Amino acid sequence: MMIGTRLVVGGLLVALLGTGAWAQAILERWQSGREIGGQLMYLPNGRYLKVASFGYAPLLADLIYLWSIQYYGTYDREVRYDIVEHVYVDVIGELDPLYSDAFLMGSLILSVEARAPERALEILDIGMERNPEDWILPFEAGFVAYNQLRDFERAAGYYKRCAAIPGAHPVARRFHAEMFNRMGDKQTSYAKWLEVYETAEDDFVRDVAYSHVHDLRIEIDVEALQAAVEIYRENHGSYPASLKALVAAGLIQALAVDPEGESYTYDPSTGEVGSQSKYRLWRR
Amino acid sequence: MDKTLAIAANTFREAIRDRVLYLLLGFALLMIGSSIFLSLLTVGSREKIIIDLGLSAISLFGVLTAIFIGVGLVFKEIDRKTIYTIVTKPVGRAQFILGKYLGLVMTLSVNLVVMTIGFYLLLAYEGAAYARLLPAVGLTLLELIVVTALAILFSSFSTPILSALLTLGAYLVGQLSWSLRLLQDRLDPGIGRAVCEFFYWVLPNLWRFNIRAEVTHAVPVPPAEVGLAVVYGLAYAALLVFIACLCFERRDFK
Amino acid sequence: MAVLEISGISKSFTTHLSLGRTRVLNGVDLTVEAGEVFGLLGANGAGKTTTLKTAVGLLRPEQGSVRLFGMPITDVRARARLGFLPEQPYFYDYLTGREFLDFYARLCGIAPSRRAARVAEMLARVGLEDRADRPLRKFSKGMVQRVGLAQALINEPDLVILDEPMSGLDPIGRREFRDIILELRRHGKTVLFSSHILADAEAICDRVAILRGGKVAACGRLDSMLSDRVRFWEATLSRVDPAALGVPHEKVWQRGERVAVRIQSADHVDALIEEVRRLGGTLRSLVRHRRTLEDLFLGEVGYEAPEKPKTPAPEMPPIPERRG
Repeated sequence: MMIGTRLVVGGLLVALLGTGAWAQAILERWQSGREIGGQLMYLPNGRYLKVASFGYAPLLADLIYLWSIQYYGTYDREVRYDIVEHVYVDVIGELDPLYSDAFLMGSLILSVEARAPERALEILDIGMERNPEDWILPFEAGFVAYNQLRDFERAAGYYKRCAAIPGAHPVARRFHAEMFNRMGDKQTSYAKWLEVYETAEDDFVRDVAYSHVHDLRIEIDVEALQAAVEIYRENHGSYPASLKALVAAGLIQALAVDPEGESYTYDPSTGEVGSQSKYRLWRR
Repeated sequence: MDKTLAIAANTFREAIRDRVLYLLLGFALLMIGSSIFLSLLTVGSREKIIIDLGLSAISLFGVLTAIFIGVGLVFKEIDRKTIYTIVTKPVGRAQFILGKYLGLVMTLSVNLVVMTIGFYLLLAYEGAAYARLLPAVGLTLLELIVVTALAILFSSFSTPILSALLTLGAYLVGQLSWSLRLLQDRLDPGIGRAVCEFFYWVLPNLWRFNIRAEVTHAVPVPPAEVGLAVVYGLAYAALLVFIACLCFERRDFK
Repeated sequence: MAVLEISGISKSFTTHLSLGRTRVLNGVDLTVEAGEVFGLLGANGAGKTTTLKTAVGLLRPEQGSVRLFGMPITDVRARARLGFLPEQPYFYDYLTGREFLDFYARLCGIAPSRRAARVAEMLARVGLEDRADRPLRKFSKGMVQRVGLAQALINEPDLVILDEPMSGLDPIGRREFRDIILELRRHGKTVLFSSHILADAEAICDRVAILRGGKVAACGRLDSMLSDRVRFWEATLSRVDPAALGVPHEKVWQRGERVAVRIQSADHVDALIEEVRRLGGTLRSLVRHRRTLEDLFLGEVGYEAPEKPKTPAPEMPPIPERRG
């Protein structure tokens, strides 16, 4: 080619590239504000997508899942939380019902980001229905109920369900026992912790269980003794001189000692029952 | 039988030389390999992404290879007239079709094995080389056997482009024939339901060869079901090849 | 014993857009006897290839029948004794010559123990033994034709059918092919081939058939179809005025000193030579024209020569005499 032709061709090439790039830059500026991820809300229901995927539904579920993570994972723009159920339950959950990660992610977004723990639990409930053998779902649900809703009874139920699944993490059983304590039902908690202690298969678990059993025992005993002291005062007009007086009065059967074998302390002037042995767990 | 095998071996040799085969194989391995990078984006099970992508790649590219190579197979012979000297030899026309089919199945099997090896190497690297995935690959092979039979059937009487479209169409419809049952339930009893029933049986139920979702989630599949799926696939493919032979028997070679 | 019997076959094809049907063969009858070389002639599009394809079973006739060795062509046993080479053949070009022939040997059911020997024999017969291990894609046209012939002969067939076997070959190739066909006849094989190169047919055929309009217009032994009678003699003379010749003649052309004349009868040949000597001229050449196959062919296919111009040929400048 002659030098003149080359210049023309080169110039044309540069002009085309420049035009393309310029148009792209302008579009980028105009469209950057728009929510591209929001298209997730326009995804049709999973049952229809299943047909459109021609047998590749689990793969499609994966791709939409990855897309949703990118969408909800950004912090530089507003995201929509009203579509979480749609994305994770109606779309991904239908395409691949056994995809636990989707239910977990949906509940995580709702409980942490959207501060809607009830909705999170709803998602997990659906997940549990579809995946009854996946222990992580009731486990997560128990945590949401405990940590955010402070609904210890519900949490206990979830942890019980979790512990019943073969292969579940053994800590679920311990959380279940502890939930009763948080509810205020120390007796049941004590009974359950005792079960854990007696069936413990390694030292760590036995140790943990013992701590709880120990502390609960003390608490239960102290409360019981304190209640008896109050009744004595009701009946006799003053605090008893010592705890033995409670036995004589027929209010308690026998004087218990704490798990370490020490007797419980009693201050006749204030009527306060206490424990010599320290609690093993820090929050007491 | 030796004549059929001679044609099969020759078909294999011819297919192996087709560059389209290597192109598709390359793309398949690329897709399988890229699953590692894609899995880095996920929160939760990375294995699932890798397994899903890998199994899907094997299935998808297996089918594409079957279609691309299969539809040209018989047509090329007729178009280039290489068939003139074969059909005039003491070889039955059915033997020719059967030989072509077997040669193609051999090619696809080798292709599948290569893709599976690549897949398992990757899985081993990620510590996820589960044996439970193999039945899914096995049933994918059956899916390919059926699709190949479709390709051979269409290729024995129409041009490559039309055969490719027909085979692809049959594949897509075969993946969805389960939805005919859903449609059937919504229709009033009568001719509509009968038509649905008819198509349900005539079309290949390819979704029966799809146990990818089950193996990914470690849901056990009863061996009896896998066995019956194999029987169904082989019977259906044999039927298609039989029909192809009949069509070919009566054909004129202008 | 008839090796191939074609009786009353008709075949039509739909035209390209399926708008109509063209009748290519309209009741063709042909019989090829054992041990002969049979030529099927006809203009382009007369139906030679269609006839041969019907004979080997590539096409099914709409009417009529084809019997090979007394069996229908669909019978595998009939095809076991048949060898076919199509027009402008194309083979699997990634195979070497040897692999190619081995494949066909397998298709013919030749036992593994004898295959290698048979393949080598065929390669030698067609003169390709030293180039057999090159892929077919590297073969020249002549070599492709030869390897094609080799596959047609690989099962030692009793009947060999060739469709335009010599088209596209150079004179050497054509000669070699002719020799092979004649050799086949010597071994008692039957050969049927189609051609529009009349010289080849004339040289080797025992019988010919000419196809026209979808039918056999003429068929029979070559020597009986071409009468031995001489049509005319053509003499080229110089320095003789034809008008002065005392022998009945027809002037064909005149260029300066030279003139060509035709005389019809053999009796006048001697008289012509005498007359030329008497007039002091020179007899440059004297050629005997028999009725050729071309004449027959053109006549049968209804060829009308354009009208000869009534004016004599224009006078050409004298061709200078050669020195020495």
